[in-house]
Amino acid sequence: MALELNNYHAKYFYDPVAESFEQGFWDAVKQKKLVFQRCTECGEWSHPPRPMCHKCKCQDMEWVESSGKGKIYTFVIFTREVHPMYRVPYEVVVVDMEDEKVRFISNMIDTDPDEVYIGMPVEVEFVDINDEWPLPWFRKAK
Amino acid sequence: MTLKNKACIAGIGSTEFTRNSGRSEIHMAVDAALAACEDAGLEPEKIDGMVRFGSAGQTTCEFTTDADVARCLNLPNLNFYSEAPWGGGACCSTILHAAMAVSAGIAKYVLCFRSLKPASGTVRYGRPTAVPVDSHWSYSMPFGFSSPTSWVAAFTNRWMYETGATNDDLGMIALVCRENAVVNPRAIFYRRPITLEDYYKSPMLCTPFRMHDTCLENDGAVAIIVTTPERAKDLKQTPAYITGVGMGMADDSFCMTSFYRDKIGIPEMKYAGKDTFKMAGLTPKDVDVCQFYDAFTSLVPMQMEALGFVEEGEGGAFVRGGDRIRPTGELPINTAGGMLSEAYIHGMNMITEATRQIRGTAITQIPNVEVSMTTGGLGVPTSALILTKG
Ligand SMILES: [Zn+2]
Repeated sequence: MALELNNYHAKYFYDPVAESFEQGFWDAVKQKKLVFQRCTECGEWSHPPRPMCHKCKCQDMEWVESSGKGKIYTFVIFTREVHPMYRVPYEVVVVDMEDEKVRFISNMIDTDPDEVYIGMPVEVEFVDINDEWPLPWFRKAK
Repeated sequence: MTLKNKACIAGIGSTEFTRNSGRSEIHMAVDAALAACEDAGLEPEKIDGMVRFGSAGQTTCEFTTDADVARCLNLPNLNFYSEAPWGGGACCSTILHAAMAVSAGIAKYVLCFRSLKPASGTVRYGRPTAVPVDSHWSYSMPFGFSSPTSWVAAFTNRWMYETGATNDDLGMIALVCRENAVVNPRAIFYRRPITLEDYYKSPMLCTPFRMHDTCLENDGAVAIIVTTPERAKDLKQTPAYITGVGMGMADDSFCMTSFYRDKIGIPEMKYAGKDTFKMAGLTPKDVDVCQFYDAFTSLVPMQMEALGFVEEGEGGAFVRGGDRIRPTGELPINTAGGMLSEAYIHGMNMITEATRQIRGTAITQIPNVEVSMTTGGLGVPTSALILTKG
């Protein structure tokens, strides 16, 4: 079973908040686009976003849409409820993004806990969490 | 210029460890402080410095201020007050702050304390409600990645994948800590043994962690008095010299979800340990007994690797079967039961046990201890401490 939202408890959703330098990430999420931050000077990727490039200290960062492809770097299966919004069991995956040098934390769609393994190829798909927020989740790569 | 042996632990005190203290954090903090003064043979009014746990970027939930404690103890003036942040990672940092203050002559007697009541108070660690609204958490909380258990489980899973450490190995940490707690009347799990079968029967919380992989949730407070060796001569106890102490914050640190660095895990302990051993002029081979921060079982073998007690990837194999880490083994660990089985006071109770091992007054006393080590919390910036007889 994949993560199943318990709509009765949707009010407990942790609404993402952003500093000014990360607003672009969440603005894109609302438009169902997964973007990552890249330095216009040296090309270094950054996630979660920073106000400047940690490598060359350039402050001119751009948002680049991700291919959405990656592999699971590590994962956990929640088997005991800690949050009323999320019905167990559900998977949290840490994904190594294939085309951008970043990792991303997310959930799985249409995947049994038994199926998840380190190295598993996955691809992004947006899911409407509530009226306001879609979130980038992942499914088994086609 | 080195801090080595310029300061010592002269007094330790704690409240009882319980599921329901029936009193406030402030009250417990002061009770522990008075117990530490009594242990040291120091008039409370002589305390002129204090280090508390801070809350930088973390859900430390430290509500007792230095001023609260000073007011209750009727301290005329504090010359030094500071905070060590990052939850359990702070425990040995408090000792570092205190040692710097007394060795530099800023203060004479510094009280380090931690009081907490997650068992019966309003804030329970490990629950999403304890996480503040803060942009750092926006990359994990909306995805239900919402508990310290799950954050440590995620890097533990990767570590097990890379090293071949097994669930049996994790279970052995739970067992050995419990064996040590069973004979310790202070321990929450005093006289309550478990078997490996019990370990496997405890409910799975978040893979690979079962209930018995996670630390206690309890009320209690611990206080520790740090002074110079010269001043300690006029006090009651054999001083435990602060021979090595260090702090570490590794690359790309991101609250408790530092999953963006190349190799996830506990690099913080590598740095803290390196500084600690360097100051002490000692190596892991010299350590007679170690209290490894054990909020979760896997942290013990992972720290053995990070600190150089074993080669990288060998932590699981080292603890396998448990005999090497039992009191009669080559590296006795968590001799009071650790935070898995004695009490969870963010590592401060581990420092008191490390002190008792130097004094020779521990319940499970390791014979002829010259070098006693203890470590701070993981998944966060952390600290480490080596105590000796000077
Ligand atoms: Zn750059």
